[in-house]
Amino acid sequence: MIRSDSLRKAYHTLEAVRNVSFEVQDHEFIAILGPSGCGKSTLLRLIAGLEQPDSGTLQLHGKDISSPRHFLAPEHRRFGMVFQDFALFPHMSVAANVAYGVNGSRSEKQARVRELLELVGLPHLAEKMPHAISGGEQQRIAVARALAPRPQLILMDEPFSNLDYQLRVQLRRDIRRILKQEGVAAILVTHDQTEAITFSDRVFLMQSGTLVQTGNPEEVYRFPRTLWAAGFVGEANFLPVQKAGDQLETALGATPRISTGTPKTLMVRPEEIRLEPPDSAGVVGVVQDVEFSGPVKVLEVELPGEVLLSVHASPQSQWSVGDSLSVIAERTVMYDSEGRLLEAS
Amino acid sequence: MPRRSWRWSLLLLALVILFGLPFAALFGLALDAEREVWSHLWQTVLPGYVINSLQLTLLVGVGTLVLGVGSGWVMAMYDFPGRPWFEWSLLLPLAYPGYIVAMVYAELLDYAGPVQSTLRGWFGWRTPRDYWFPEIASIEGAAVVLTLVLYPYVYLLSRTAFQQQAGVLLEASRMLGFNRRRSFWNVGLPLARPAIIVGVSLVLMETLADFGTVKILAVQTFTTGIYHTWFGTSNPAGAAQLALSLLGFVVLLVAVERHSRKLQQSQSRNIIARPYPRKRPEPLKQGLALLACGGPLFLGFLLPSALLIGWTWQAWASMRLGEFGEDVLHSLTLSAGAAVLAIVLGVFLNYGIRLNPRPILRWVLRLVSLGYAIPGPVIALGVLIPFAWMDRTWLNPLLLRWEWELTYLLSGTVLILLFAYLVRFLSLAFGTIEAGLSHVTSGMDEASRMLGRNQWQTLREIHVPLLRRSVFTAGLLVFVDVMKELPATLMLRPFNFGTLATRAFSYAAEERLQQASLWCLTIVLFGLVPLILTHFKMQPTRRDLQESSSHRLMPIAQTSQTGT
Repeated sequence: MIRSDSLRKAYHTLEAVRNVSFEVQDHEFIAILGPSGCGKSTLLRLIAGLEQPDSGTLQLHGKDISSPRHFLAPEHRRFGMVFQDFALFPHMSVAANVAYGVNGSRSEKQARVRELLELVGLPHLAEKMPHAISGGEQQRIAVARALAPRPQLILMDEPFSNLDYQLRVQLRRDIRRILKQEGVAAILVTHDQTEAITFSDRVFLMQSGTLVQTGNPEEVYRFPRTLWAAGFVGEANFLPVQKAGDQLETALGATPRISTGTPKTLMVRPEEIRLEPPDSAGVVGVVQDVEFSGPVKVLEVELPGEVLLSVHASPQSQWSVGDSLSVIAERTVMYDSEGRLLEAS
Repeated sequence: MPRRSWRWSLLLLALVILFGLPFAALFGLALDAEREVWSHLWQTVLPGYVINSLQLTLLVGVGTLVLGVGSGWVMAMYDFPGRPWFEWSLLLPLAYPGYIVAMVYAELLDYAGPVQSTLRGWFGWRTPRDYWFPEIASIEGAAVVLTLVLYPYVYLLSRTAFQQQAGVLLEASRMLGFNRRRSFWNVGLPLARPAIIVGVSLVLMETLADFGTVKILAVQTFTTGIYHTWFGTSNPAGAAQLALSLLGFVVLLVAVERHSRKLQQSQSRNIIARPYPRKRPEPLKQGLALLACGGPLFLGFLLPSALLIGWTWQAWASMRLGEFGEDVLHSLTLSAGAAVLAIVLGVFLNYGIRLNPRPILRWVLRLVSLGYAIPGPVIALGVLIPFAWMDRTWLNPLLLRWEWELTYLLSGTVLILLFAYLVRFLSLAFGTIEAGLSHVTSGMDEASRMLGRNQWQTLREIHVPLLRRSVFTAGLLVFVDVMKELPATLMLRPFNFGTLATRAFSYAAEERLQQASLWCLTIVLFGLVPLILTHFKMQPTRRDLQESSSHRLMPIAQTSQTGT
């Protein structure tokens, strides 16, 4: 549906978006994930038509909508947008906000407004003013307003970041369901990896203006393409790798040499480490710290050579500080000296 | 619990009584007068004043609305050559008091002026009956002049509203299928409406308060009517009644303004301030944008400045420089004196209210702070009545007994001028300092008191250093406003005592404007100082806009306060 080719946008000397290319299918849910200042909001605004690219093109169903020469104004793209602060018009009632973008007769508008307010479960708020309803309600109204003109694509700029945790989880589910039901495609911008992973069909991971990796959430989590990506999406332990003859030596023990590249760093997720009583196979470590966080116990284990490892153990496990134990990595990922993915086991 | 000190209350009460005195005097005099005065006024001059004043305010309101909102929208939404420069320079006409622009255009456009003389030369016309030329000495002429010097209020407030409050909302409107122009009507304008109304009501207050412009352009309004009734027909009771009628209009405007300000604050909550990306339109529209901004700037600032400089140059040889030096000294003394007094009282009152938050004091203070909206002639009258009475019945006999040469110590010296300036401009200083003081949290007060400082020490060691910048701004604004002030100075000045403003005005009254150009230029130069200082600071933030209380010159105070 949407296709971007080498999109680039700079503000003065700051390149907010550089050479970004991607494609989004009909009905697909995309999350653009990255730290603040990585250019993800700018990318969204380029798609929306609120910014014009310096170079590159953006196509909708094969037709140019953004390029340095040709530019389709945002009002003609018919995309819906949900803003971070919801941007409800403060001088209009909830119903008038939702009706704003709907074309047609009075009764058509009313019907559409009723339909959407039912969809988001707030038909009783129609006559309220935006400042008189809660944050979560404002959020749903903002979604209803964006859906009202029947767009084929919904853009969302950190739509959940102004809400508290419980509400956020609940709304994310609701809104995902509502959008799927309406059959639109959606692009969500967020800095929260959980949000990105749970919401989207595909994650676009973004760093300093470029797309580092695109793929389904599991792929991005399990096979991060760079060291940075591994650290940004989820928690990770990084261990230095030394060559030792035919073997590769790390604090977690020796592994067979791999065919391509020169491995420099080994990444292992805290939940992909198994802890056994001390005389089992694997490397011996000593528990330095235990932190109970509800679903898991987070252990800090010191390996030989003063290497510290973070491990997620079952909340029922009974390890305590000072215990010796055996550490076994169940799955590891290798990176070269430039931080690029080499191989995963 | 903070201990409420009765000494504070007593001092505050004394001040409130002092500043309430002029208004009480006006009421007393007006109500005391016989009924015939009222009916006489109604049968003769009052309807004319009402109609002229209403017509003038209506025209100026529409004019500033068009120029101010137009240029504000263009500046907020479009990009064109010279735009960053215009952002600030569109404020420049504020440096001009209306009466100076009126003098310049009267000189330029009247029958004997260069424009009409040249036209007569070209077309061979001989008498006024041979051709039509717009009459500058008319209500329309006065409206144009006042529009040119007052539109910056509307411009500044509406631009800020468009740029900062509506940014995200305009984007939302465009995402829902509306183009820039329709988004302006649907979202931009309704959202900016409270800010625009605030701006326009400030303009209308200034218009009602204007004396110099209408006097020079021979338009009979309330203010000139008060002046005439008092000095021309020696009827102080009639003047007081006119003053009270005028006050009624002013209070109405103040109410509208305060209400809109509240509305503006409640609507702009919860919205992230983000400027809307500007668009560079096609060349033709860029030209129009340039015209919309350049036109008012040229007519309201560049042209009058160029003419004044030219006339000063031409008339230099015949300028009375000795007299000029004396007038500058007088103006500087009065302005500096009033500024210092206003600062001292402004800090003192703010602190008193803060420590002693009694509703009654706050309420009375608010009433007194209406001063900024009250026309100079009204204040002059209100101040003179009690001062002259005190001199006559109390001070003069005392002085005579001590065999002093001086009489009329209160009403015949600069003392009365300084007091009148304070009545009018204290609220300006008070509000500016109040906005600054809101950055000093009550936690700081409490911490200081817990560490063993008393109220005075807290004021000196905590507040004054933190407030330095807003105190400076407050002083500067009062200084410049006193420098420009005309009617009260004209009516209350000691015999043979001239200031820059009064001398310029009397030259103009004698139709010797070229002689006055040096005086006018000097006033404008002083008026430029706050604008230039503003230029080197950032644009006002939304928070500043919300925190500010209502003031005539608040747009400027806001801009120059950012960052405190």
